[in-house]
Amino acid sequence: MRNALTIAGKELRSYVASPLAYVVALLLLGVSGYVFTILILASPRAQTEHLGGVIGFMVSMMLLLVPLLTMGLLSQEKSSGTIELLMTRPVRDWEIVMGKYLGALGLVLPIFIITLQFPLIIELGGDLDWGMVLANYIGLVLAVMAFLAVGLFASSLTSNQIVAAVLGFSFLVLFWFIGIASYAVTARLGDVFKHLSILENLLDFSKGIIDTKSIVYFVTLIAYALFATVRSLENRRAT
Amino acid sequence: MIQAEGLTKYYGPHLAIVDVSFEVATGEIVAFLGPNAAGKTTTMRILTGYLPATSGTAQVAGFDVAEQSLETRRSIGYMPEGPALYNDMRVRQYLRYCGRLNGMGRAELAERLEYVTDRCGLNGQVDSIIATLSSGYRQRVSLAQALLHNPPVLILDEPTIGLDPNQIIEVRDLIKSLGGDHTVLLSTHILPEAQMTCERVMIINNGQIVAVDRPEVLTAQIRQAETLMVRVQNDNETIPRLLQDISQITAVRPGEQARSYYIDTEVGSDLRAPIAEFIVGHGWGLLALRPVEMSLEDVFRELTTEEKGVG
Repeated sequence: MRNALTIAGKELRSYVASPLAYVVALLLLGVSGYVFTILILASPRAQTEHLGGVIGFMVSMMLLLVPLLTMGLLSQEKSSGTIELLMTRPVRDWEIVMGKYLGALGLVLPIFIITLQFPLIIELGGDLDWGMVLANYIGLVLAVMAFLAVGLFASSLTSNQIVAAVLGFSFLVLFWFIGIASYAVTARLGDVFKHLSILENLLDFSKGIIDTKSIVYFVTLIAYALFATVRSLENRRAT
Repeated sequence: MIQAEGLTKYYGPHLAIVDVSFEVATGEIVAFLGPNAAGKTTTMRILTGYLPATSGTAQVAGFDVAEQSLETRRSIGYMPEGPALYNDMRVRQYLRYCGRLNGMGRAELAERLEYVTDRCGLNGQVDSIIATLSSGYRQRVSLAQALLHNPPVLILDEPTIGLDPNQIIEVRDLIKSLGGDHTVLLSTHILPEAQMTCERVMIINNGQIVAVDRPEVLTAQIRQAETLMVRVQNDNETIPRLLQDISQITAVRPGEQARSYYIDTEVGSDLRAPIAEFIVGHGWGLLALRPVEMSLEDVFRELTTEEKGVG
């Protein structure tokens, strides 16, 4: 685990040194702040529902932004040849993957802490249901953690950053919209598609419900994507 | 310290190395010499645990590279081809990162970092961003990285590529000084380099080791004849014919310079005195007479173009 933290620290430092991280933070905070302000100004009284709207908006923005943050994590190591250094040091493959994952998470989570200003503003000027806030944020964090894991997996598949970003975005869009298929198939099969959908699993959180089923869904998706990334690295050794 | 037995590697249907077996003793400096795409990097990648062999086994520092990968990797300092550097990091940052990945403690790391930057001539560059360094310095940073955790085994893939002549000499001297304390396996396609830095040379071609020995022995074994170079003052056409009549001289060829000749004589013979006497006796004016050493370059060409095995 020490190695994973070393790698995470290095990733975080190179994020902070690159303009990409600031552009992403600025976009996320700027646009969600703008949406929040409009919602508040347009209604006579600030309410918890406004927060749900902004968080839903943030999740959809992250769907686009996360692949940009994760695209270089492994693909760049491959294209620059540093993967050879990393994989010949006494570091286990899963430590590399965890390190990369935690590094990206370490960048994104603090950005969300800044967005806690939205519920605080509502609390000041209206009535706020902190239970709703908690459920919304749990949904947001779980979804973004899943996005990062999927994006990291995409980055492990190629040595081209752009390809990694497009792949990551495609995987996420697939998981986002897969629930729609439920309208076209039998009820039983439709349920399967709904359970697989990121969007469907987020709905409960936005209503203030913390459902174990959805938590299990996200944790499984994260674990599976990270596991697939480790296998993808191992596969490089095996070819 | 390094043992490879029957290493074979396929990339899909493409055969990269075939049945590569060799040993490197503790403290020895050995060069892998071969043209590009001969299988040098592939063999090194197998030893360092980056790639698995299709078949065959290898031990480094007593650990099996496939079964005890982490232990093997801990005992190896590896300088990959085309230095594996993070361009956005500073030299010190990069070396610290590598040190931590090698499991080094804070105090040990600080001490070794000072030592390797000094040893590799990086003192003035520790705070530079790697992207801004010249290729010579990049190469040194990569070498410093390999030395950092004081590993018993060093595997250096083309350590002097991209360096200017002065830097090449510095790096060669550095590598030479590492022998004894470290076991060094380096690869190169530059022949004098192997000759100058290494105690033993393994010549690899088309994925197969074609010769292994000390550089002098290799040149001696492949030598078909002793060759002398003579240069005379008063040239005339009869010289080659007259010389050829001396017993034990097998051939007389024109030399590279004007009025000079290469004289091939039988292996083990030394005809310097009789030839000198002969030339002086004919009044041709002897200007120069010296034995021509076969360089490793000739051996190499011989072995890799005609695929002729030695010993």
